Parts: sequence; structure tokens; C-alpha cells
Amino acid sequence: MVGRRRNTRRSSVGQLLLAALMIAISLVMLYPIYNQLVISLTGPEFIAQADGSTIIPRGFTLQTYAGVLSIPKVYRGLFNSFFITFAGLLVNVTLTSMGAYVLTKRDLLGRNIFMSLIVITMIFEGGLIPDYFLMKNLGLLNSYTSVIMYKAINPYYLIILMRFFDKVPKSLMESARLDGCSEIGILFRIVIPVSMAGIATISLFYGVFHWNEYFRAMIYLTDEARYPLQVVLRELIVSMEKASFVGAKNYVQMSTRAAALDFKAIKAALIILAIVPILLFYPFVLKYYVKGRLQGAVKE
Amino acid sequence: MDRRSARRRIYRDRHLYLLLTPVLIYFFIWHYIPIWGARIAFQDVKYIGENTWAGLKHFRILFSSPVFFRVFMNTITISAMKIFFFFPLPILLAFLLNEITSSGLRKGVQSIIYLPHFLSWVVIAGIFISLLQSPDGALNQLLGLFGIAPVAFMTSTSHIRWVFVGSEIWRSIGWDSILYIAAINNISLELYDAATVDGATKLQQALKITLPCILPTIITVFILNMGFFMNAGFDQVFNMMNDAVINHVDIIDTYVYRIGLGKGNFSLGTAAGLFKGVIGLVLILSTDRLSRKVTGEGVW
Repeated sequence: MVGRRRNTRRSSVGQLLLAALMIAISLVMLYPIYNQLVISLTGPEFIAQADGSTIIPRGFTLQTYAGVLSIPKVYRGLFNSFFITFAGLLVNVTLTSMGAYVLTKRDLLGRNIFMSLIVITMIFEGGLIPDYFLMKNLGLLNSYTSVIMYKAINPYYLIILMRFFDKVPKSLMESARLDGCSEIGILFRIVIPVSMAGIATISLFYGVFHWNEYFRAMIYLTDEARYPLQVVLRELIVSMEKASFVGAKNYVQMSTRAAALDFKAIKAALIILAIVPILLFYPFVLKYYVKGRLQGAVKE
Repeated sequence: MDRRSARRRIYRDRHLYLLLTPVLIYFFIWHYIPIWGARIAFQDVKYIGENTWAGLKHFRILFSSPVFFRVFMNTITISAMKIFFFFPLPILLAFLLNEITSSGLRKGVQSIIYLPHFLSWVVIAGIFISLLQSPDGALNQLLGLFGIAPVAFMTSTSHIRWVFVGSEIWRSIGWDSILYIAAINNISLELYDAATVDGATKLQQALKITLPCILPTIITVFILNMGFFMNAGFDQVFNMMNDAVINHVDIIDTYVYRIGLGKGNFSLGTAAGLFKGVIGLVLILSTDRLSRKVTGEGVW
């Protein structure tokens, strides 16, 4: 991503036009998100007038967030999403590291066969319905295991991690082996600590995937209390009405908070809640994810 | 190979095989069992007792179904529209970004335009539904300034596919430009210096130097896109579709979900999924072959 200056004639008018175009593109990217933020922060007395052209939240309030977070579906959804993401990450990183470590041993007997067996799954897949039947037959429907284990190892990320592990000095591993360290010990005490950039890269890949995943959760989980935030948000977007979302019972009970909220304010607040964790990690995303994308693109 | 030395190597690496075992078990259960499970496309599913073989019955039903024909045509149309109207844009953007002399501006713009890629399609659907709302969404408000009457984009059969193209551009134009930016950065500066000395204009340099140099990257990305051609963007369509436009946007993957899991027609759904997979495979292999012929370079 290093920019380079060229010793060509600089046309300042051209640069100005280019800058204007780029700023316009950036605005198009940000404005739709910003608009949701504005709507989610608009006070109840002004919410009816708030629309796509509202730039400043009138009657600024955090009431919508307080109200939305008092809906059981929403706070459970947030908790479920965090749980699935972290448990998933633990499984992803452990299994992918184990696979990547062993498969970087080029002289392992059968290594190419194992590698092919893994790469084949990038091209061939059983599909949605056989996947569903597998979960059913394993008794994993409505269990978090089905969601956590879905794409537990992404072959593409495994190959990227192998590139990082390849760079670990052989001498480091050899001396640990001479000191009587086991292979598992070498992986977890030497290879992983030395390849933290690689671990960070695949963690972000997997983390973003888990946080944004909704479809498998929606079909595998039958108990609504287990839904992650994305499924809850989807339900709200598809249902297009408040009563069914907040729940008829809750509607009466929580008359002061959730029921008083405007539909579009609820929706906007949920959208922002689903984006915030991504924004919190965005500096790391820019640092590692982008590089990882390029590493994955390098042909072998 | 000498059997004894093979056995010795396996014994030497026994800990590595132990580490690899969970990985192989994962791929066997989560990937190979569903691939085998896809055979229900050739079977009649029985609720009591063994499934019975049905040959190509479900494929015959599929190919004689007017609904599937429509779904198939929708898939091709939506994908083709995206290839035609979206695919060139990240390349163009990479050219423009490369021309920016201020590295601060370039980096700032890049970090903003990557952001939408990290949002889930559920979130993007929520954002777009409100952005395109009639009459108070941001776009209709903007069009109103030019005296254009509001359009209900999401429920208009003549607009909804353009909404897919537009939201794809919004989400991916920045992210997809990364590979091209990297490819442009790899071009030797001397080429440009020589061209400048010869008095070539910026446009001539772009067409005669940059474009040919990044052509292999463009072709590689194009071929990979062809492999996904039959997907047409399931998550996007699934989250943005509604009853008003379903006949215009229903694609193979949404059909598989609706027919297979929704209506419990497991064999027909799996057959549709398999058919899609086979076409995808043929597409990727034939574009790869074509690319080898034209440029002497393939994907693998």
C-alpha cells in the first residue's frame, strides 16, 4: 500500500479535481451509516421528522439505546454474538494453527495428500441441505456447537497462516526440540508467539466472519433466545413493524421504554450496535486484514 | 518407497500426525460427510426406513419447472449485471487512487472506502432499505432537489436489480481495488520515467503501461469471479428481497433455501444446489483454460 511519488508534471488542477472526487466517494460511503447514527440519537419529539436528509440529531438522546438494550432479544443477542465470536475464535485459531504447523513440514509423509484433501473442500461442497442434515443427525440443532464449528477451519486462512509459520527460523524449533520440547510445546510456546502477526491476521478474518454470520445461526438455532444480534436485526428488518419485534407481552410490560420508541430509531440503534465492534477493531483490521488479503492473493 | 524407512518416518513424526488428526477429523465430518450427503439429490427421502434411489427424477422435475427456469435466468441476469457494471469500477478506482500525490489523502480515502466490506449484509440491507425509502430516504430526498419524483426502489421490479448492483458497488469497490493497487505499485517506476521523457500523457501512460502491467491481476480476479458467477450474492439477495419483487430477484441459492429447507423438498433443493455447483465448476475451468490460451497464465 505504499504510495509512490512520480517525477511527472504535477497538475494542481487535476489533483484538486481528484481530491474532490475522492472526498465525494468517501462521503457516499460514510453518509448512509452516519444517517443511521443520527436517527438513533434523535429525541422522541423530533423522531417523526427525522429522515434521510437529517444531518444533526435534534433533541439529542441516548434513550433509544437504553430502550433497545432493555429488550431481552437485543441484550441476549449481543451477549450471544460475543459468545459465539470468542468461542469460535478459540476453536478457529487452535485448529488452524495445528493444521498450519503440521502442513508446513514439507517432508511429512502424506503431506501432499492431506493438503489436497483440504484444498478440495474449497471447490466442492455438499451444500445447505446436506449441511443441515449433518447437524440434525449429530444432534447439534439448536446447539451453539453447530454455529461455532461452522467453517472452523477455512482452508484459505490456513494457507495464509502457513506462510507466516514458514518464516519462523528452523534453528529456533530445532533447539527447542533438543531441549526436549514436544511438537505441541513447540507450536504453542515458540511458533505461535513468534507469529503473532499471522495469528492477529487470521483472528480478524475469523472474528469478522463470526460477528457478521447470521444465516447458519438462523437455520441451525431453533430457540430464539439463542439468536445472535445479526439474526435479531434481520428479524426486525424483515418484519418491518415494532409490535411483533418487541413482543406483544413485552410491549405492555415495557411501556415506558421500548414501547415508546419509534420503529426507525430502534432499527437505527440496532444497526449501529452491530457496527460498533467492527469500528473498535478497525485500526487492527486496516493493519493486518489488508496485508493478509494481499498475502492470500500471492500465487504459489 | 522403502517400507521400513516409511514406517520409521511415520514413527518419527507421530506427534505431528497426532496434531493433524483433529484437523482431518474436522474436514471429514464437516465437509466430506455433506459431500456424500448430497446424494439425496438422486434419492427420494423417506421418513421411515432407507431412502430409495430415484435416478435423475429430481433433475427432470427441476428442468421442466418454469419457476426454476425463472430462478436460473434471474441468477444469470443479476450476476451478469454485476460483472458488467461493477467489475471495472475497482480497477478505475485503483488508477485514480494511484494518481493522488498526497499520501495522507490517499490513505485516508482508502481506510474509509474499505469499511463497508466489513459490514454484514443484514446491516447493509437495513442501511439501504432506509437510504432508498420513499419518500423520505436520503436518495429520494436528493433526487427531489432535482425535481425527480420519489421512487420506491426496494419494491419496484424495474429498480431492485439495480439496487443490488449499487449496494455491491458501495460495499466492494474499495475492497476490490486493493489487489489492483498492489499490482500497480509493483510496476517499475522506470517505465513511467521513460514514457515521460518520450512525452507520453497521463492517459497514454495509464493505457500503455499500467493497464498491460496489471492485466494478469485483472484476469485472475475475473476468473475467480466466474467461479462465483452462479452465486449471484446469496446474502445480499436474501436480505434485500421482499414479496413485491420476489419473481425478479429469486436466485438459485434463495430457491434452494425456500424449496429445500422452507418447504421440506430436500431432494429437489439439493439437486438445484448440485446443478449450480457443476455450472460453477465448468465456468471456472473453462475461463482458466481460456486465460492460459490468451495470456499464457492460468489461475493455478
